[in-house]
Amino acid sequence: MASNLEDEIERLQVRVSTLKKQLHIQTSTLIASPSTQALLAPPLKARTLLTLPEDSNPFHEKLLDQSVAQDAHKQQCLYRTCAAITTFRVQDPDPHAVDAGAVLGIRIEVVSRAKFLRPYYVLLNRPYADAGSRYLRVHRHTVPPCIPLDGLAARHLPPPPPPRSGDDGESEGSSRKKQDLARFVRSLRREIVRYHHRLGVVADLRKAAGLGRNKKPVGDDPQPGQLADISSADSEAKQISIEWTDGRVGRLVMGNDGEVVQLVALGDKGRDREAVRDLLGEAVRVDELARRLAAVD
Amino acid sequence: MARISIPTTARLSSSLHVNPSNPAVAKILGRLSRASLISIALDWLDERNLPLAAPYLRREDTEEEDDDEEDFYPPADSPAALQELYTELQGRKGSKKDVLDRITQGDWRHGLSLYQLAMADLQHLYDHPTSQTWSAYRIVPLKTPPRDAEEDAPPVVDKESLTVPRFHPSTFLNTLQAQVLPDVKAHYNFDRHKELPLLLLRIFILDSPYNTSLGIATSNTPAAANFDMSRTVYIAFPDASPHIFISKPQTLGSPAAGVGGGEVKSLRNLIVEGIPKALSRPRHRITLNSTSLTTKNLVEMLDKRGAKRTNSAGGGWSIYADEKIKDSPLDTVLPTPPLSERDEEVPIPEDEPASRKRALSPGSQREERTAKRARLVARARFGKTARPDDGKGIERVDVVIEDPFPQDTGEDGMAEDEGPDQPAQKETGGWRPNVRLTFHGTHVFAGIRQLVEGGIIDGERMPGWMTGEEGITVGAVRNGRIRGHKGSGV
Repeated sequence: MASNLEDEIERLQVRVSTLKKQLHIQTSTLIASPSTQALLAPPLKARTLLTLPEDSNPFHEKLLDQSVAQDAHKQQCLYRTCAAITTFRVQDPDPHAVDAGAVLGIRIEVVSRAKFLRPYYVLLNRPYADAGSRYLRVHRHTVPPCIPLDGLAARHLPPPPPPRSGDDGESEGSSRKKQDLARFVRSLRREIVRYHHRLGVVADLRKAAGLGRNKKPVGDDPQPGQLADISSADSEAKQISIEWTDGRVGRLVMGNDGEVVQLVALGDKGRDREAVRDLLGEAVRVDELARRLAAVD
Repeated sequence: MARISIPTTARLSSSLHVNPSNPAVAKILGRLSRASLISIALDWLDERNLPLAAPYLRREDTEEEDDDEEDFYPPADSPAALQELYTELQGRKGSKKDVLDRITQGDWRHGLSLYQLAMADLQHLYDHPTSQTWSAYRIVPLKTPPRDAEEDAPPVVDKESLTVPRFHPSTFLNTLQAQVLPDVKAHYNFDRHKELPLLLLRIFILDSPYNTSLGIATSNTPAAANFDMSRTVYIAFPDASPHIFISKPQTLGSPAAGVGGGEVKSLRNLIVEGIPKALSRPRHRITLNSTSLTTKNLVEMLDKRGAKRTNSAGGGWSIYADEKIKDSPLDTVLPTPPLSERDEEVPIPEDEPASRKRALSPGSQREERTAKRARLVARARFGKTARPDDGKGIERVDVVIEDPFPQDTGEDGMAEDEGPDQPAQKETGGWRPNVRLTFHGTHVFAGIRQLVEGGIIDGERMPGWMTGEEGITVGAVRNGRIRGHKGSGV
């Protein structure tokens, strides 16, 4: 009995949340629609101009505010959809933060499988302001460690040349360089997108070999040439390990642009070049390999 | 079984047997609970582990008739029978000692292999996830020295390198073995952590030049002392992260038995020096840098040094790393500001304060408002981190304050939470007291968050390092900021 009641409560709560969500969607759709905007903005403005303050409905004010916010959000979304790299400003909550807590945020959009993923953020500040320099430094970021952000930052955002203000000493070679934020962000984004593409290719390979998420059970008598597993073998997803059902293992090294750099298969008697030839065929790139596998099956 | 022990540089084999009467066995097994003991016994009897963990069975062609009547634990006929027996034990109630005796005096009376001991030790680690103190190290590539470089020129860290270190367990182990001194024998065991994305390497180090069972026998006292001097070190390799976690070496013998803290430290240093050599390849050298993070909590460790986005976005910045937030530009629904009421995860029951509000005096209303403000500030500063129940507790944080003493307020700041709340704007470079703060507790930053929520710490004036966003446990503060940390950012 009690469980029944709890189930019902849970169901109702789920329903409440979906209804609330729908309400939000409808609100934003309504508010963003041209007819509402036309209805809302000019007459309201006219009325506030003409009539006395007591006539101005606080509800209308609120609606107008919301409409303005919605407009801004719409514009932001548009930029984000089209530009892939957008910037924004952040206030560092730390009272001792450098440069009065001014932080430049960079948002990098990633699309994978026709979906926008949660963007990656890089937050930069200007810790060298004491020395009169406007050089930037990476303050916080959400880029996973398999992307060489540190190396890119050292290349494109070197710290300012001495007079060193007791900060970390830098080698002379890098300190002569100028900072190039645009190049930094461009190369960082390229690395991130490549990484996601590589992940996608590995998933494609798995799918093509019939090793999708709902892995079909290997039959009692597996054919000798069947693939047992395909998975990325390192953090950057540049190496793919391949396993056959008959115990052979292989390693595929993927280049930066998805080309097959090398494919090695090891059987009982050492290197198995035939298996490599069978698997690879004419494929030069990993996505060609995926297509080939899909065609074979 | 070899009759002669020859000093070698090889590693200890997993199949080496240790006499069950060895105090080390009792110590390792004795730490486990009854349920864990039975479950590892069942693991040993698993088909894959049997070759290295064979139990004592009745032999059909026994030439030595030793199943006398007085045998309390008659040997079983097959592993399957034993498996049944232990499964039955699992369902029954009983004391731990029964199971322990059954293992050491019955089914494994001929000795436990080092592999079994390693499994038991790892089981202890899973049962008590906070039993080890871990330090995080970062794998940093070194510059390839130029051809004409002097031999002993110190290697330079290659800050501009774009390669992410790669790691291959068996190759790593071979090279690590080559680094270990010949008068020390080690047993290595790799295991995948059951819940966390970690690869654990257990190194069991024995002060003996022999790698046969005689070297670890207990018949003579010096060898037993050997075992007393043995140490266990864990190295954890988080998946897809250029970090390594090394645990503090632990001795099996009593701490008073001659093993000083200095030696433990030197062993750790030896490992820290050996690992980069083992991970390096020709023309591709790396080194390990400390990242000033030491904690017992592996979950927190993975949060700050793992493969996810949270590495350099701690504290309030974690809202940028939160993958649960759906933030697609195609979603036109107006997002709620992160600190608004609707966003609040645990909504304050609205009718309850409303009904009370009428009876409240203006004073308590103001109090309520300040309390709410403090809560919001805490949310702004900590984000979703530092909750008492998130299981990411750091138990100790050491901070040295290097700021000059503020002129107006006299405060000695002796390990009190309000100590660092100093503006430190004086340029005169006056008196700099030597202030060291140590925060100690089950979850330090959750405690600070609670103090902020309670209005004891002014959340808006609190320095950023008190939110734990730097991801370090040891640091020095200058100008209100942690200086020279290697944790976050670059």
